[in-house]
Amino acid sequence: MTSVRVRNLWKRFGQQVAVAGIDLDLPSGKFIGLVGPNGAGKTTTLSMVTGLLRPDQGSVEVVGHDVWRDPVEVKARIGVLPEGLRLFERLSGRELLSYSGRLRGLPGAEVDKRATQLLDVLDLAGAQHKLVVDYSTGMRKKIGLAAALLHNPEVLFLDEPFEGVDPVSAQIIRGVLERYTASGATVVFSSHVMELVESLCDWVAVMAAGRIRAHGTLEEVRGAAPSLQRAFLELVGAQGRDTGSDLDWLGGAGR
Amino acid sequence: MSAPAAPASTTAAPAPDLVATVVRLKLSLLRNGLRQSSGRRAAYVASAVLTLVFAALLLLGLVALRGHAHAVSLVVLLVAVFAVGWAVMPLFFPGGDETLDPTRLVMLPLRPLPLVRALLVASLVGIGPLLTLLVLAGSVVAVAHGAAAWTVGVLAVALGLLVCVALARAVAAANIRLLTSRKGRDLAVLSGLVIAVGVQFVNFGVQRLGSSGLGELDPTAAVLRWLPPASAVGAVHSVSEGDYGVAAAQLAVSAAALALLVTAWARSMTRLMTSPDGSTLQAAEPAAQKRRGRAGPARLLPGGRTGTVMERSLRYVWRDPKTKAAWVTSLAIGLIVPVFNALQGTGSIYFACFAAGMLGIQMYNQFGQDTSAFWMVAMTISSTRDAYDELRARALALLLITLPYATAVTVLTTALLGDWAKLPEVLGLSLALLGAMLATGAWTSARFPYSIPQEGYKNVAPGQAGLAWIAVFGGMVSAALLCAPVIAVTIWLNVSEGGDAWTWLLLPGGAVYGAGVTLLGLRLAAPRTASRLPEILSAVSKG
Repeated sequence: MTSVRVRNLWKRFGQQVAVAGIDLDLPSGKFIGLVGPNGAGKTTTLSMVTGLLRPDQGSVEVVGHDVWRDPVEVKARIGVLPEGLRLFERLSGRELLSYSGRLRGLPGAEVDKRATQLLDVLDLAGAQHKLVVDYSTGMRKKIGLAAALLHNPEVLFLDEPFEGVDPVSAQIIRGVLERYTASGATVVFSSHVMELVESLCDWVAVMAAGRIRAHGTLEEVRGAAPSLQRAFLELVGAQGRDTGSDLDWLGGAGR
Repeated sequence: MSAPAAPASTTAAPAPDLVATVVRLKLSLLRNGLRQSSGRRAAYVASAVLTLVFAALLLLGLVALRGHAHAVSLVVLLVAVFAVGWAVMPLFFPGGDETLDPTRLVMLPLRPLPLVRALLVASLVGIGPLLTLLVLAGSVVAVAHGAAAWTVGVLAVALGLLVCVALARAVAAANIRLLTSRKGRDLAVLSGLVIAVGVQFVNFGVQRLGSSGLGELDPTAAVLRWLPPASAVGAVHSVSEGDYGVAAAQLAVSAAALALLVTAWARSMTRLMTSPDGSTLQAAEPAAQKRRGRAGPARLLPGGRTGTVMERSLRYVWRDPKTKAAWVTSLAIGLIVPVFNALQGTGSIYFACFAAGMLGIQMYNQFGQDTSAFWMVAMTISSTRDAYDELRARALALLLITLPYATAVTVLTTALLGDWAKLPEVLGLSLALLGAMLATGAWTSARFPYSIPQEGYKNVAPGQAGLAWIAVFGGMVSAALLCAPVIAVTIWLNVSEGGDAWTWLLLPGGAVYGAGVTLLGLRLAAPRTASRLPEILSAVSKG
């Protein structure tokens, strides 16, 4: 079963090609990692897959429905946590969830019940009446995750959900996501931290310079390499770059 | 300590060096800032020329005032106004002078006192201090009579200038802590309003003064001549009159103020340099009252998307500094223009439509007001129907404030002018105009969205100014055109014989017309919004 099917996806920004023809089938019910260095096109790809950015060319289907032709079916079934976009930060955490849930047409009482549970699980109950603008990065990611989970989506797209998050919050987010996929839902998340992807995901797509370099289960992508990090460096051709010979003055012994 | 006017005269070992360094730093920052773009250079030269022309005119005027009976009143007031300007300036342009920000110097091994001295001298460099210097000199010329007065005058100019500069520095240092916290920045954005609204009041005051002469100022001046730095100029006048005791006291007041300001500044600088940045401290808010879900007046809002969106919009009017500033400006100007004009007897009752027009502007660029948080809205709009509900809810939230407000302003203006017979038609026109503004606002929100940067005072992101102008001005012209039928009927009823008996029809007519136009505008805007979600998101996410 495929949850997301991408065909020949392109996006250019002026002269720069951000995404250069991606074909990808993501299996459902898996914890999927989209990995690649900064500027590889991960955010652009996720934005196009979730309908927040119009592709120049290509098609995207999520759980069997075309994202651009059938938004009614798609938008109700996906949850998104984008990177670099704001939330309605002048609402408190609880108000944000209440707004988000009601906007999606859930009944008010149900929204309040789910919001309370999510705030508790994500350890935000103490800060629920504080404005989101005063939240730390980790708290923002957690409230964003709560808003993305509130309507119980089939597929969850998270762009760099662990970026700038403290270890405690990261562990909480991990726990929630593991519980969520265990029930058969799909999580697609992007990251440039290989150790994290290796420890969390069972399916990986490696992206560099706007293209998919490798995809498959973690074992397939890792191949003979000792770690995903090594396999990744080999894939993007960044091996053997040594900075040791220069900077020989650097040692902290004064001027 | 008393601040030395000349940098070279200080004997403390590292100080002369530091003073020269800081002055050079200020000059390089100024030069580099100008080197960045020719536009900025042109703007700087133009503002310098304008300031100098303004200063020259002021100087001429002050010299011409010499010998006038009320000269001292005007001069003292002028110096006081300049001092207020100096105090307020750093609040509006916290980033305007980088040497002003001691937090940038935190990592350098400097002691506060030499630093205070150096920064004070550095702040004497610039157009502002030059203008102030010329005004102070002119003020002394206007009131000084006799050798003793001239001598005191020189002292007064130096003292006055230093008090102004130290005042600006002390206020800035005290406010940097505030400006680095979220609450403080919110306040700073709001303070932009003070100018917008203050200008209206100054305008009103000047008009009154023009009608009754300078003598009106005397009671105010009697107080101001004891307040620093105006008291320094007051001292010159007192010497001219032969009141040496009073003059000494006035000079002492200014000198004491200078000492006090410099001490306060040095203190807050020491605190700034030794304690953590306000932005890294957790905003210690008392755990807010435990409210669950929707409470209070929010319960009266309709359910579903409509009520949810209205609630969020109304919360943002109160909580988001940019939105709040825009609203307060609209509310204030929408009230001040018709009511003040009516008070002065120059007003027309039709000015009351101004309130509806000013508030209707808030419908423009709805999605830009969301900033990039618009993605949360975009994720939930999957059909034209959703987009229609979203836009209608925003229009309803706006009407909740606008409708009673515009009506109240219209009734108040009518009451002031006593022209009750015209109330129905003016109200009808207001409603038609409001409807047209909502319709064009909804449409341009979908067609010409642009970002509103959240930091600083700009309301348009770089590169989108043209778009913003098209949206707002094109929209307002279209709104006026849309109102044309109602305006035509109003004129026709007023000029035609026996038409006056039927002008009451304009109230229901205008209301129905306004509502119809609004619904039409929403219907046209909804499909555009629904089909352009990614384009709108990228337009409102800049900056």
